[in-house]
Amino acid sequence: MNVSSRGRFTFSGGVHPPENKSLTCESQIQPGPEVKQVAVMLSQHIGAVCRPLIRKGDAVQAGQKIGDSDAFVSAPVHSPINGKVKEIALRSHAVLGRSLAIVIETDDEGPAKRPSFQVPADFDVSKYSAEQICEVVRKGGLVGMGGAGFPTRVKIEQDPRIPKDALIINGCECEPYITCDYRIMLEWTSQIIAGIKLAGKASGCSKVFIGIEDNKPQAIEIMSAALRDSGDADGIIAVPVKTKYPQGGERQLIKAILKKNVPPGGIPPMIGVVVLNVATTAAIAEAVVSNLPLTHRVVSVTGEAIAKPGNYYVPIGTSVEDLLEFCGLAPQKSAKVILGGPMMGIAIADLKTPITKTTNAVTVLMKEQIGSAKFARRQTPCIRCGRCLQACPENLNPTKIAHAVKNNLLDVAERYNIGTCIECGCCSYVCPANIEVTGYIKTGKIFLARQKQKMPR
Amino acid sequence: MIDVIIGLAPAMAAAGYYFRMHALILIAACVISCVAAEWLCNLIRKKPNSLDDFSAVVTGIILALSLPPSLPVWAAIIGSFFSITIGKMVFGGLGSNIFNPAMVGRTFLTVSFGVLMTSWTVPASIDPAMPAVAQENILDTRTQATPLAWSKLAIKNELGADIYSEKQFKATFTGEVGGCLGETSVIALLIGGLYLLIRRTINFHIPLAVLSATFVFAGIAYLIDSFAYVQPFFHLTSGGLLLCAFFIATDPVTAPLTRKGMWVFGIGVGVITMLIRIVGEYPEGVMFSVLLMNALTPLIDRFFKRIPAGGSPSI
Ligand code: SF4
Ligand code: SF4
Repeated sequence: MNVSSRGRFTFSGGVHPPENKSLTCESQIQPGPEVKQVAVMLSQHIGAVCRPLIRKGDAVQAGQKIGDSDAFVSAPVHSPINGKVKEIALRSHAVLGRSLAIVIETDDEGPAKRPSFQVPADFDVSKYSAEQICEVVRKGGLVGMGGAGFPTRVKIEQDPRIPKDALIINGCECEPYITCDYRIMLEWTSQIIAGIKLAGKASGCSKVFIGIEDNKPQAIEIMSAALRDSGDADGIIAVPVKTKYPQGGERQLIKAILKKNVPPGGIPPMIGVVVLNVATTAAIAEAVVSNLPLTHRVVSVTGEAIAKPGNYYVPIGTSVEDLLEFCGLAPQKSAKVILGGPMMGIAIADLKTPITKTTNAVTVLMKEQIGSAKFARRQTPCIRCGRCLQACPENLNPTKIAHAVKNNLLDVAERYNIGTCIECGCCSYVCPANIEVTGYIKTGKIFLARQKQKMPR
Repeated sequence: MIDVIIGLAPAMAAAGYYFRMHALILIAACVISCVAAEWLCNLIRKKPNSLDDFSAVVTGIILALSLPPSLPVWAAIIGSFFSITIGKMVFGGLGSNIFNPAMVGRTFLTVSFGVLMTSWTVPASIDPAMPAVAQENILDTRTQATPLAWSKLAIKNELGADIYSEKQFKATFTGEVGGCLGETSVIALLIGGLYLLIRRTINFHIPLAVLSATFVFAGIAYLIDSFAYVQPFFHLTSGGLLLCAFFIATDPVTAPLTRKGMWVFGIGVGVITMLIRIVGEYPEGVMFSVLLMNALTPLIDRFFKRIPAGGSPSI
């Protein structure tokens, strides 16, 4: 494949929101606050909820497994710190609402875990068998760290029915404001490459692409150089893709690089493709080489209302409040705290919400940034301008679906393929009438799910 | 909507230049009465005020631009009220109307005051006896047929359409011909249309479809019998076709949502316009063709559903 430095690879639809990455893109990954208490959610992934393996009052070690499930699609959770279980209580989760978390209080004042993992010089992927890698990945509690949190083991494990042939490493980071993946690519390059090799081995993919948006030339440069230096990285290519939101959506990335469509409502393994986020790949290396489970992650804390925006390496379970306090939040200026970025992130009301494995950023927006019309949620009637149709990367008819949901015509919404919406928010972003199109679609999906539960077909 | 008003400004200016006070009074009357009508409707329906979307102003301007300059002001006011109340508000206001409100109002006026709606004053800026048009005894000196009406008459009287001279053709570009307020100056309409395209207020699909369908249809007719049918460029530049292609057919509320649907819609508008112009009794068919295609819009939308990326899911 002929790869130029300009990203020609792209998909149709999409939008170009202001990037606002300059706030944090030069900020090195640094240790986060030293927390006294963490709340580790029992469900941080897609799939079965973990059941707690410890009881109130038990002492736990950093890295100890504290929750697990027997289901295939699930991932265990581990304690990030040494301490004592204070309680098993309800905490807010951005998507699931109130759900169970294990609250751990630390007793020793030992230094927090540093982001210091180094790939040993004698790292050799042939030392590990595919089964071994999958097992460690499962035990380490790895999930997709880019957003949805699909258990990584389920993704990479070989399936004799559908052999996997392409592995795509997602370094797009198309969401505005967020730079954690970018920093990981710059700073943890060797670790990512080790993780890619391990994932490639485990999944049996022969082709590996690292998709990076062409607004990050430095990352493309560094990754390509590291690939050249590492010698045995045949078949791994860093591919610049066009800078456009939602390029980092896995369906869009597959479309851009492989020119293939994932069947609607399906997942990439159905066409023999695995997509892993760069943070996940780095975590795979850490888990397999050093046998460290996923207990910490890099979070971008960003927004104009933050005094010290940056990329912080924090224990999973840290509350948003602790993190914001550490970074210096000006509360009078902030209007909206979002887990994730402004496009796909979810605004939270409860600052006690803990960071989970999938929280890549905490973005604090100010009132002026949201725009007075959007802030007041002043919606005007849809003028059928068709902009949402053109922006939709999934080629849907967002306004039709949204109006169907609004009028409680769920069957119409289904006929217009509500289920294939990836909730990227492009339609809401472009709507001149300020209609929360994506919001209606999300609501419709929830209604449909409830309906199906009540009345099985 | 503000962009649409800016896009219409050149046409309004041209109207003001050629028809002087007539034009300004009519535009003002239409805009004011459209706004008043919308305000009243909201008041009666106890709905929040919706004037700040400026759609009533746009409707008023478009209606005014499609009226003959000599129309009495009271008729314009009646037309405006009809546009807003029956054309828009009874459906539930902006976004819910099926038909283009301005065209609804104009149709009402045409049907009710046929004579008033077809008397054309010669632009004040030129000699009342339009130099390019042969002094037919069917036309008196004060009023003047539009080029379209005139060519139709000419054909009926078996004069042959090619009498329509070069000079007249040029005059349509600047607007020195008889016709509705805003329909006459091709240049002003093109500038406005271009502005909307650049601002991405409208997509190129509908205008292109309307214009090319008209051109092809007229071209075929011209090739078959160049004596009976005027040449295609004449059809493009005269009557309300450009106003329609850039400002009326592109009204998003009453046009299809999908790209394919837009093509079908535009081609439909062009073809029906030409059918009416060539075969029908009325010299001008833009108004009816837009309304007809408006009525078909929901069907078109249903027919050209979008297929999700990766094909339809098999539920
Ligand atoms: S309908 Fe869904 S997939 Fe399409 S733009 Fe809206 S949120 Fe994105
Ligand atoms: S972008 Fe907004 S106003 Fe335009 S068609 Fe979609 S929902 Fe309607």
